[in-house]
Amino acid sequence: MKDLLKQKRLRHALILLFTLIIFTLPFLITNNYYLSVLVIIGIHTIVVVGLCLLMGYAGQISLGHAAFYGLGAYTSGILTSTYNVSPWLALLAGAVGTGIIAYLIGIPIFRLKEHYLALATLGFGLIIHVILMEEVELTGGPSGLSKGIPYLSIGSLVLNNDFKFYFLVWILALLALILANNVVHSRIGRALRSIHGSEFAAQSLGVDTGRHKLQVFALSAVYASVAGSLYAHYITFISPSPFGLMTSIQFVVMAVVGGLASIWGPIFGVSVITIMAESLKEFMPLLIPQAGGEYEIVVYGIILVVIMIFMPDGLTATLVKAYEGWRYRKERANETP
Amino acid sequence: MKLLEVTQLTKTFGGVHAVSDVSFSVSKGEIVAVIGPNGAGKTTLFNLMTGVYPPTQGNIYFNDTDITCLPTHKVASLGIARTFQNLQVFNNMTVLENVMVGRHIRSRTGLLGAVFPLWPVQVEESKIVESSLEKLALTGLADKAMEQANSLPYGQQKMLEIARAIALEPELLLLDEPAAGLNSSETRDLVDIIYTLRDQGITIILVEHDMETVMEITDRLVVLNFGNKLAEGTPYEIQNNQEVITAYLGEEGL
Ligand SMILES: Nc1ncnc2c1ncn2[C@@H]1O[C@H](COP(=O)(O)OP(=O)(O)OP(=O)(O)O)[C@@H](O)[C@H]1O
Ligand SMILES: [Mg+2]
Repeated sequence: MKDLLKQKRLRHALILLFTLIIFTLPFLITNNYYLSVLVIIGIHTIVVVGLCLLMGYAGQISLGHAAFYGLGAYTSGILTSTYNVSPWLALLAGAVGTGIIAYLIGIPIFRLKEHYLALATLGFGLIIHVILMEEVELTGGPSGLSKGIPYLSIGSLVLNNDFKFYFLVWILALLALILANNVVHSRIGRALRSIHGSEFAAQSLGVDTGRHKLQVFALSAVYASVAGSLYAHYITFISPSPFGLMTSIQFVVMAVVGGLASIWGPIFGVSVITIMAESLKEFMPLLIPQAGGEYEIVVYGIILVVIMIFMPDGLTATLVKAYEGWRYRKERANETP
Repeated sequence: MKLLEVTQLTKTFGGVHAVSDVSFSVSKGEIVAVIGPNGAGKTTLFNLMTGVYPPTQGNIYFNDTDITCLPTHKVASLGIARTFQNLQVFNNMTVLENVMVGRHIRSRTGLLGAVFPLWPVQVEESKIVESSLEKLALTGLADKAMEQANSLPYGQQKMLEIARAIALEPELLLLDEPAAGLNSSETRDLVDIIYTLRDQGITIILVEHDMETVMEITDRLVVLNFGNKLAEGTPYEIQNNQEVITAYLGEEGL
């Protein structure tokens, strides 16, 4: 009981510390480009936190999460620019709608297992992408939404620059983390982890495994949708290209790099991959002048393989273990006179 | 009163008759053992009773409800819990959390409550912890609560499975070879736990190879051989049944 409380306090202390760091950063960083990278990291973190709930806790993979991200972005984009709906209402509509869509398509998809499931989610992602490309009247097709998407505002405060948007995104990202953390340590979270441990035993204890997987799939889709809405209002212009397969794969790589079964994994994985992707954009043309966009997929492939082989628990867990090992050795060294 | 009734149950895997035409019933408060040589169909019988797969033929009634083709989680929610011959502990969780999963059907928090744990959710959560700790105390694992489940020695992992199963507050508990791999003092503890559970009103069916223990604690035995029911009766009757002696006990040189 005491240990339980201690653990909980430690968790809360860590979150508090992290919050402090996050909200002092924008005052230290004056370069707008760096700030915008941090905003994007925040947006991606929201998606990947949801994906980690699905992959790390429910043990299911999705290669179609960019579609939910896109559904959120386009719902917000279309409702606010074409129909003049209030941005917050549009964000909410996107989240609810995407959640329902995920739940419904989840019903047939979750009858499948492992790589069949992965393929089905991939197929879903492709279908949404095609719709975004082809429904020209609604989405503007490949060239994107023609009318401008408004900035988000809180009361009279219009979030029209990186600095202001940074705070909104990271408040929501932290909220996403805290809520996910709640889920993990709840009845539902335990049920999910038990499925991962032994689906057989979980069912024998009355856990309706299918239903819980579906619920988490929908929840992770809601996360992606909210992130998509934020993206739309941040960039204020959207086209289908950021919502394709490449992005879905990127999300999965971020989740895997961070490590699936820790709530800190997402922030770490997203940061590493986003910063790497940004630097690649800058340096790749210098190294290989004729390289196109395809090198990205090669790099992701290599990262995935390396992580899977050398750090199956993800980078975060590996670093934590290394640190604990180091501390242990240090303590031992202090003990021996 | 009949708690469980199995009628003409048959399960074939390809050409193998794992269970064939088995009928028996169990009354409330009994301790019944299912015995038989390796491959006799004991685990298959448990799997059928818990909805792991549907039988080829026959029916299973629990409290007069037909549960023959119910999925596993529904069977559990009606009050049948079980342990496994091959350990199925949740290795990715602590000992306490393992047992807390056992409280799943006795608690209600849904996804929304999980995301936003307001006061009622927290109250339920502490109740779950409390009753789980109780079950751990009963199985002698109270001081292991915060340890990772897979760090426990084998015998304690078996106890953990029992703690987890009774957290569900089952009416019927199925134990698949609970004494296998236990040393003699652990087996004594197991017997005590089984008596305690029986006194709490839980009906128990166990599969067990340890004949001394089985004969000591059971009210009645069902003997399987190559999927068929060979005999049924009190320990005394079974020990003196010529067919059983030749087919089963005789095989072990008794
Ligand atoms: N899923 C399955 N697929 C195919 N055959 C199976 C399956 N499960 C069990 N069998 C077969 O059914 C027969 C009965 O197996 P079962 O596991 O029920 O025996 P058991 O009485 O529990 O034996 P043991 O004492 O070794 O645990 C065996 O011949 C086994 O090979
Ligand atoms: Mg068996």
